[in-house]
Amino acid sequence: MAELRARDAKILMTFPVTATSHLLAEARARGAYGALEKALRTMTPQQVAKEVTASGLQGRGGAAFPTGRKWAVIQYDDGQPHYLCANADEGEPGTFKDRWILENSPHQLVESMLIAAYALQVRHAFVYMRGEFSAPFRRLQGALDEAYAAGLIGENILGTGFSCDIMIYRGAGSYVCGEASALISSIEGKRGYPRNRPPRLTVKGLYQRPTVVNNVETLSNIAWIVQHGAEAFKAVGTPKCPGTRLISISGHVARPGVYEIEVGYPWRRLIYDDCGGMLHGAALKCVIPGGISTKVLTGAEIETLNLDPAEVEPAGSSMGSGGMVAIAEGTCMVRLLQVMLRFYHHESCGQCTPCREGMGWLHRLIDRIVAGQGRLEDLDMMARISKLQDGNTICGMGDAAGYATLGILAKYRHEFEYWIREGRSMYEGNLECRRSS
Amino acid sequence: MPQIFLDGQPFEARTEQTVLQVALDHGIFIPRLCWHPQLSVAGNCRICVVQVEGRSWVEIACNMPVSEGLRVLTDSPLVREHRKAIMQFITLNHPVDCGICDKAGECTLQDYHVAFNGEASISREPKVQATKFYRLSERITLDNERCILCTRCVRFTREVSKSNALGVKHRGDHSLIRPAEGDDVRPLDDDAYSENVVDICPVGALLSTRFLYKDRVWYLKATPSVCPGCARGCSIDVWHRKPEWALRALDARHNTAIARVTPRDNPDVNGPWICNKGRDLALLLERRRADAPMCKGRAVALDEALAAARELIGRARHPVALVSSWGSDEELAAFGDALGGRFHCFVKDDHLPADGEVVEDALLIRADKNPNGRTARARFGDQAVCFAPDTDLVLVWGEGCDFGRLPRGVPVIFLNAFLAPENGHAEVFFPTSVHTERDGHFTNADGVRSAFSRCFDRPAGVVDAEQVFRALAAAAVAEGVTR
Repeated sequence: MAELRARDAKILMTFPVTATSHLLAEARARGAYGALEKALRTMTPQQVAKEVTASGLQGRGGAAFPTGRKWAVIQYDDGQPHYLCANADEGEPGTFKDRWILENSPHQLVESMLIAAYALQVRHAFVYMRGEFSAPFRRLQGALDEAYAAGLIGENILGTGFSCDIMIYRGAGSYVCGEASALISSIEGKRGYPRNRPPRLTVKGLYQRPTVVNNVETLSNIAWIVQHGAEAFKAVGTPKCPGTRLISISGHVARPGVYEIEVGYPWRRLIYDDCGGMLHGAALKCVIPGGISTKVLTGAEIETLNLDPAEVEPAGSSMGSGGMVAIAEGTCMVRLLQVMLRFYHHESCGQCTPCREGMGWLHRLIDRIVAGQGRLEDLDMMARISKLQDGNTICGMGDAAGYATLGILAKYRHEFEYWIREGRSMYEGNLECRRSS
Repeated sequence: MPQIFLDGQPFEARTEQTVLQVALDHGIFIPRLCWHPQLSVAGNCRICVVQVEGRSWVEIACNMPVSEGLRVLTDSPLVREHRKAIMQFITLNHPVDCGICDKAGECTLQDYHVAFNGEASISREPKVQATKFYRLSERITLDNERCILCTRCVRFTREVSKSNALGVKHRGDHSLIRPAEGDDVRPLDDDAYSENVVDICPVGALLSTRFLYKDRVWYLKATPSVCPGCARGCSIDVWHRKPEWALRALDARHNTAIARVTPRDNPDVNGPWICNKGRDLALLLERRRADAPMCKGRAVALDEALAAARELIGRARHPVALVSSWGSDEELAAFGDALGGRFHCFVKDDHLPADGEVVEDALLIRADKNPNGRTARARFGDQAVCFAPDTDLVLVWGEGCDFGRLPRGVPVIFLNAFLAPENGHAEVFFPTSVHTERDGHFTNADGVRSAFSRCFDRPAGVVDAEQVFRALAAAAVAEGVTR
């Protein structure tokens, strides 16, 4: 019975983190590069791709697109160069799960990327890394150097004739560059503007060649899938969304951090057992499930939910990138939305009209409300702007900001109305966790 | 050939076309701001949204490939709602200073506002302020507040003029069009096509410094013409004051001045572009004009000049003519018919490349700086100018002749439009019209014949060269030509 299973299988966080656990010697002792050897020596590229498709692995960056379907578009033998990019531009506020992999398990990513490169017949693969990541950069570069020295990467890997190089490209701090096509523009040395689809990146991506862009966590699962087989992977998690998720939880919980959970893990257990409950025993007001671009769920809503897309999506939100923020009772949602909109305004790339103008509009509106100059019709205007951005922008950022705004406005409208009426926050100085400390 | 349906009507489309192109080919209107037929698809303005039948959302037509049986609505209620919203977004930070904007009257944004929004702003927030009068180059002034960041100008400098001179700086609603930086960048001042960005700007952000605040476009009339600046013969519009709006006060020259020159789309010759030299036609054509026929520097009546010329031609045994490569097809034909048999003819380059001018490039500019050299040479041969020792009369038609190199002591009949010292040195001088004062045709280096029309009346005292040639041919006719 699936419900009775403990749901504590681990794929990525399988070892205690020590000062040396990220190094090649210890990684090899844990079995690293075994899957690479297995793939290169015993499997054809199609077999690897088929295994990944069969595993049902979904993208972990936020959109949950099936990885196998993305890969299937690439004709590995069509004679033109293909590219693989690992998206390590972890910019979604609240998300820091990829950082854990890059810092503590870089060889798992390198090995998985090499396997993916083999399946897609990629000669040059890229890691697009967030500019602010300096420790993760040093760890990953160190891992690449070790792997080169050990002949695990570069020309003629393990004597099999397969060659692949991995380069790290460091971003310059743009949120939008985490979007796959903007990421590619950035690697090409252009302005980090997202591109219009069609053509899809798997048809014309980096340097106008078929390109696969996968999240770091998504890619890191590949080695495990090849090593243990698709069936073993499908046994973890739920049938519709197999595997585990890295959840980076922050906010008002006692033990924030990165947790690996099996898909279908009870939400309450994560917050109240693993994370030690809310800070100082405060009540849970709401949760941002997966990065601030997902709609908030109230404490009451998550009470009975499991961390499974099949349950979170009907509740009106999504698992997103796994960047969870727990918010205690007493937090002012008006201020929260103001912070979010300031972020979106600052990060809008300015390419397409609705997002370029809409973000600034929303930000100026909420600033005016916070300054005590708000009017009730401003709330309708905010909802209207959010709705009109939805689906009419080049990338998903316009939609995302709209979801965040609409989600908070729908559930906490009374706080905005209070602020407009009274000219101050409903929770001035009343944050529960602060009071009890 | 896939068949697609626009608002229920079937249309044949080509596989590589987008829905927007099919619609425009068949006269169905879809608004567009960032899309330009000669530039890549940017898809950033979002005004061209259409709805695929059965879908509850809108998509942009400029990037929608056609597929067999695709059914698209270009004017559904959802499309109208989105277009209105986009107009509200675009005008959110636009200053709407149409009253003092040069583009007013020919502004796409203005037209679309009336067509798709028509309401006052629904925003109460202060507008984002940005730079006014930013000097992009000597020719171009940028008003960043009016800019809607369609990036047409950026794509033009990358894809057409290849100077890479422009780029976008900063992010979000603080983005600014600015000179780009990098190894492959030439400054906009060195871009011989830079002023085209003023035409393709859908709003009044990029402004021609020369034209700034000079005229309201609704007082101007565009007369189709041909640029005489080089052998490309680009089709142009010469903009000048409408006769019905002629100024009675101020200087009467305002009524016969070229206000500006813009390209006239001609796929056979220049597409929608012209070079900056073509924009400066006024500098070329509005030099001081010769306005009286002369005999040895003494102003005379036209009849007297014609009589003197006839006498010179009648006496000459070995006359030589230097034919103008600025003459229209009609003038060259008239010269050939009237005097071609009487003279030994050479074709003369009226203009040579000036210092600092782009001599030739891959886009439009040709090395031959004369509009009709091809027709002239086809008619009068391609030999280099040389004077036989027995030459006893020289007819010089047009500029570009060094009188010091003519045989000494031989009388000269000179036809020129502009004031020049040589005019008085000639035995007989006729002041001629320029091509904006008559109708005619130029045939460019590739053999494409383009018509130009009369913009202004001839100034008093000036004759058409064609009249002079006919009058000289008709030696028997006593009275000659009158204006």
